[in-house]
Amino acid sequence: MPDLCRRDFLKLFGIAGSGAVLYGCGEPATRYLIPYINPPEDVVPGKAVYYATTCRECPAGCGMLAKNREGRIVKVEGNPSHPVSRGKLCLRGQASLHGLYNPDRFWGPMQRNVYGALDPITWERGEAILAEKLSAAMAKGGGGRIVIVTGLVTGAIKDLTEMWLSEMGQENGHIMYEPWSYESLKKANQVVFGRDAVPQYRFDELDFLISFNAGFLETWISNLEFARQYASFHPISGESKNVFVFVGPRLSMTANNADLWIATRPGTEYAVGLGIIRAILDKKLAPDQPAERRAAIESMVSAWPVERAAATAGCDPKLIESVARLFAGAARPLAIAEGLPQCVPNATETAVAANLLCTLKPASLSAIDFSCESSRTYVARADAIKALADRMRSREIDVLIFQGVNPVFSLPKAWDFAAAIKSVPFVATFSPAIDETSALAHLVLPSHYSFESWGDYSPGKGVTGFLQPVMGPVFNTKHTGDILISTGKKIKGEESFPFRDFYDALQGYWTRISAEAGIKSFDDFWQNSIMQGGYWPEQTAKAPELSLPAPSFNFPESEQETGTGLPLVVYPTVQFYDGRMANHLWVQEFPDPMTQVTWGGWLEIHPETAGKLGLKKGDLLRVKTDYGAIEIPALPIYTVPEGVAAIPVGQGHWNFGRFATGLPANPFELLGPDLDLVSGATLRPGLNLKIEKTGKTFDIANTDGSFFLHGREEDFVPVISLEERNRMAASGEKPYIDYPLPAGYQESKDFYPRHTYSDYRWAMVVDLDRCIGCGACVAACYSENNVALVKRDQMLRGREMSWIRVQRYFNEDAKGARWLVMLCQHCDNAPCEYVCPIFAPHHSEEGLNNQVYNRCFGTRFCSQNDPYKVRRFNWYTFTRPEPLKWQLNPDVTVRQKGVMEKCSFCVHRIIEAKLEATMKGRKVRDGDFTTACAQTCPTEALIFGSLVDPESRVSKLINDVRAYQVLQHLNTKPAVIYLKRVIEELRV
Amino acid sequence: MSEAAGPQGLTGYGAADDQILGAMWNPGRVYWTFVAITALGVLIGASCWAYQIATGLGAANILHPAMWGTYLVNFVFWVGIAHSGTLISAILFLFRASWRTTISRSSEAMTVFAVMIAGMFPLIHLGRVWLVYWIVPYPNQRNLWPNFQSPLVFDVVAVSTYLTVSFLFWYTGLMPDLATIRDRTAGIKNRIYGFFSLGWRGSEKTWKTYGTAYLLFAALATPLVISVHSVVSWDFALGIVPGWHSTIFAPYFVAGAIHSGLAMVLVLLIPMRKIFRFENLITMEVLENVAKTIILTGLIVGYSYAIEHFLAWYSGGKAEEQQYMWRMTGYYSWCFWLMVICNAVVPIALFFKKVRTSIPALFSIGILVLIGMWLERLVIIVGSEAHEFDPYSWGLYKYPSIVEWGILIGSFSLFFFLFLLFAKFLPTISVADVKEKMQVRRDD
Repeated sequence: MPDLCRRDFLKLFGIAGSGAVLYGCGEPATRYLIPYINPPEDVVPGKAVYYATTCRECPAGCGMLAKNREGRIVKVEGNPSHPVSRGKLCLRGQASLHGLYNPDRFWGPMQRNVYGALDPITWERGEAILAEKLSAAMAKGGGGRIVIVTGLVTGAIKDLTEMWLSEMGQENGHIMYEPWSYESLKKANQVVFGRDAVPQYRFDELDFLISFNAGFLETWISNLEFARQYASFHPISGESKNVFVFVGPRLSMTANNADLWIATRPGTEYAVGLGIIRAILDKKLAPDQPAERRAAIESMVSAWPVERAAATAGCDPKLIESVARLFAGAARPLAIAEGLPQCVPNATETAVAANLLCTLKPASLSAIDFSCESSRTYVARADAIKALADRMRSREIDVLIFQGVNPVFSLPKAWDFAAAIKSVPFVATFSPAIDETSALAHLVLPSHYSFESWGDYSPGKGVTGFLQPVMGPVFNTKHTGDILISTGKKIKGEESFPFRDFYDALQGYWTRISAEAGIKSFDDFWQNSIMQGGYWPEQTAKAPELSLPAPSFNFPESEQETGTGLPLVVYPTVQFYDGRMANHLWVQEFPDPMTQVTWGGWLEIHPETAGKLGLKKGDLLRVKTDYGAIEIPALPIYTVPEGVAAIPVGQGHWNFGRFATGLPANPFELLGPDLDLVSGATLRPGLNLKIEKTGKTFDIANTDGSFFLHGREEDFVPVISLEERNRMAASGEKPYIDYPLPAGYQESKDFYPRHTYSDYRWAMVVDLDRCIGCGACVAACYSENNVALVKRDQMLRGREMSWIRVQRYFNEDAKGARWLVMLCQHCDNAPCEYVCPIFAPHHSEEGLNNQVYNRCFGTRFCSQNDPYKVRRFNWYTFTRPEPLKWQLNPDVTVRQKGVMEKCSFCVHRIIEAKLEATMKGRKVRDGDFTTACAQTCPTEALIFGSLVDPESRVSKLINDVRAYQVLQHLNTKPAVIYLKRVIEELRV
Repeated sequence: MSEAAGPQGLTGYGAADDQILGAMWNPGRVYWTFVAITALGVLIGASCWAYQIATGLGAANILHPAMWGTYLVNFVFWVGIAHSGTLISAILFLFRASWRTTISRSSEAMTVFAVMIAGMFPLIHLGRVWLVYWIVPYPNQRNLWPNFQSPLVFDVVAVSTYLTVSFLFWYTGLMPDLATIRDRTAGIKNRIYGFFSLGWRGSEKTWKTYGTAYLLFAALATPLVISVHSVVSWDFALGIVPGWHSTIFAPYFVAGAIHSGLAMVLVLLIPMRKIFRFENLITMEVLENVAKTIILTGLIVGYSYAIEHFLAWYSGGKAEEQQYMWRMTGYYSWCFWLMVICNAVVPIALFFKKVRTSIPALFSIGILVLIGMWLERLVIIVGSEAHEFDPYSWGLYKYPSIVEWGILIGSFSLFFFLFLLFAKFLPTISVADVKEKMQVRRDD
């Protein structure tokens, strides 16, 4: 059946460009095969077509290119011309296809019957029911009876939603809800900069950065963009390296990238900020301050001498002083703060402190650009949501529509938002897949996934990404805009909605915008914008100077009552964001960057503390606050200081499809019901956890075999100090590398003769100074290479199939960790090759260590003899449910049980590139193509190329003084050559 | 070796035939019960294997990085068991150790069965066993040959050679006895035994040819004892895994193999001599001599353990050093210490004549050594894999799955099943050799 659907889709594909509604597999298919007599436009069998669209997995709005093969989209990559993503995608973006092909998406419109179950209905019927309920609500009169709750949307769909509501006579009926809504950050910006907004930051201009718990490499505002900027801020460039300091209660992925992590007691980060300000002012290190500002700031920090700040935060006062010196000594330093009220207490205070710190260095204020403010500025604050809940409870709302949001999961459980929804007479959902909120709806009118939709999304001022349907709908769904238009027409008549469909409305909207921007030809504009993926006119004006109002803010005088129990840190992860990614099979399968845990949440606790409390890994704990309780397994690990507990956000779903449901646990259930009157955010008191053992266990499915390197640092992840690196570079020292080339042959230690390479010798350089541990490479590899998904049971038995891993090792002092990107090393002297009895691992003429699946009969000797442990065995024929199979890359074999597999250096891409080069009558040039992992790496830590070409980037980089090979003493001569992370000694 | 170790209390050739071959006619109920139990075990093993083929190797509890689990432990274990058969039969034959006479046949049978079972384990262990013929160097139009650098190809050659030679050696020795049985049976049995005795007439010339052939096979089998287990040890020693990559492995494995083989001889012979009332044939002195050899092999094995650890420390390699430290203190340390006690400490008790001549003590020590040797393979194979170079990729093979247990039970069942069939249908003691060693009165 899927095959027929595909062809049906292809027949219709030709008219996609004219904006017709695409019919997909929800429609009954004609059951006969037809050859490509009239091939659809754009489709050449075997050749991929790329369409530009925009990632809507989080509000960052990265530009994407979707790779369409024979009518199905099989891979997404960053759009190189898009200013946010610049060709890169994060792990979540790479995994977005599992949202599209999620088997738990709604198959079509449904209505709840009297027994509470959902019955399938037709679209006609569904829209009629909705129209009827809407008319009834309108008939009651009053302006607030219909409410649509969506995620952050902008542009045409926002315009249409608001127009629709106003046609219905409703006011303020459109609520844009995002769990991460940065109320505290906005409040702090208002206090210090006079702007109640989330600005754009420019890290690439800085020479010093201090982050107060802002996980800007994971989820904070626009993590991919920041990762890219960070790559030009932090890694060594020339002879210097800028300093990054992280202040926070948890060694997060971002914190682990810092040169210095100042561990704090949760909620006391502001004290560190104030201490730094005080130290700078005391030492008169910030001279160019106007006297009155200076006085105002001084009075705010007068109560915070460094010693007191350090005592409050629980850190060494010397650290605060030295950071103050570094900050003051830097030319363009910047301080940022997380500003998420749910995560740690005093988020607003911390953000104000960070902002005040920034004002001490006016030169770097241009790195905070409010003229390009983020669209997150417009997200509803928690108090607005609370007001909505109150209106729902008091039955002021008759019709409530949800689209793509899940407040029942992500609001504090103490709010009991589910009960509020239940008191609304009619709830409809336009969400594409089942979630805890949609489960309460009376009517399900599933909308398209972003990949099936037309649309536009602007993550911030000046940048708009366009969405276009990159394939036909997978299920019987409709565009949200089309549902609105057709129900609107039913109620208010054709003339009120003068659009054929949403595509028409979108064009109409952009006709207006482009005319305002002075663009003459709309058609050209439209063609170009759709093709390049969006509209981002050149920004000529520099960010305007910030006018700084006289700051005034009351910081808490003393630390809050600590009480007994462990203070709680809640944190978003690079994988799950706010939990919306949890129904993506891939995302469950990828290990967390710091804990390396998959399939289920955990409570992080320092091993010392765990020992004192008698907690062992996997003990299922009952964790209580004054507001709620959850059951979650313990994970003793060094990512939190002693006496602190941390829980990631994302798991703990109870009705979110087969992959997410039933895994522990949701920390939002521990939060309190109150609002912070200052910021309008959820009030986050210092929650002290009461922990009891339930006596049960929930095994932790982690992929790491050990926390530490056990004295093998030099073999695996050596680091180099900046001084040493500069000394070596100055003296012209060469790294000791066993070249995976004929030149690397040494008679004294090589048993087998040298391999010779005439055209190419593929190799990779991994720059560990650039690697931020985000795992985007892992996601890209799974997607590109059809890597099997083993799920929790097999994960617990150590049978994950990843071809590339970001391995985490804690340093000996357990105060930080290192990452090592481990993939097949394509050794010149590969230990796996000679032990196979039947030549299934085969050394190619281009240096690839090919694994010939057809030839493998599974002795597993290759894996046993592989010191890097990158070979993966198919313990079963791993399958995935429909329609997840549709994502499989047709260029890569799907492996069956009993076969060994591993990284192929994307050999199919190599072949494709060679074919293309041959057609052009030349050899493949450096940069013609790259592997999937290197393609998406946000910081360009992975570089792929041929060592035969002396001018290639890899050929040059392998002679960098930082170069080394993992387990070099084994004389395997790996073709994956690493560059050491550069460590800067911070003088404390 | 003294003549006294030979068969005792036989009055004539006829009596020898009666006693030894008599055991074949009416084995009784106990025998059939054992046959039924072992046949059931074989069935269990076969179904487990079938299940594993159908679902995939995930049915076993092996994982990344411990990719080789009990299957290869069993393989090495059974190859080891196979060794003493040849040792007793061929080497002692060449050394003219007369005490071998009564046990040579059963230990040869043990060899053949053990090698057969051992040979099955690499197959059970394969991911796609239906393609196993690829490992054989057969001519094909794609010019695809096996990789002769691979120790697994050495294995195929070594094990199949060993099986062939030990089978031929066993069969050659059987021929005069088959003829004897032929002469004492009638009907279909007569035809079958007649066919397999290859027209034995017992003439001077036949005996002479037989003697030459037997000597030849004995001479051929002797180096194989050394070579097969050396080759098996190279499966590990040629790998670069810390804990495997060691030059001591070949002699260490050979000694271990003989150690376990001798233990198996004790475990098999002690019940057999009791059940078939062969106390006069398999005398206490024979058992004592086996016990003395176990002391020797036990000492060699113990020395190897010590040397391995010393070399790991002396080499200064981090992974190597920690591997052996972990072996003593880590997850499998209980296996390690049990192994040391069973293999190296317990056999020392055999220095005492009292222990050496006590049937229960000999039997228990045999069992303990077998357990110890099985654990030794587990410690070496699984323990080393679990704790390799990259600490990130450490992982524990915690316990065998039901399928692995089933196959383990199946393999032992198959061994005893075959041995029981052998005891029923073939003479378990070489009648011809017994006759040769008999002190016969001239007038008989």
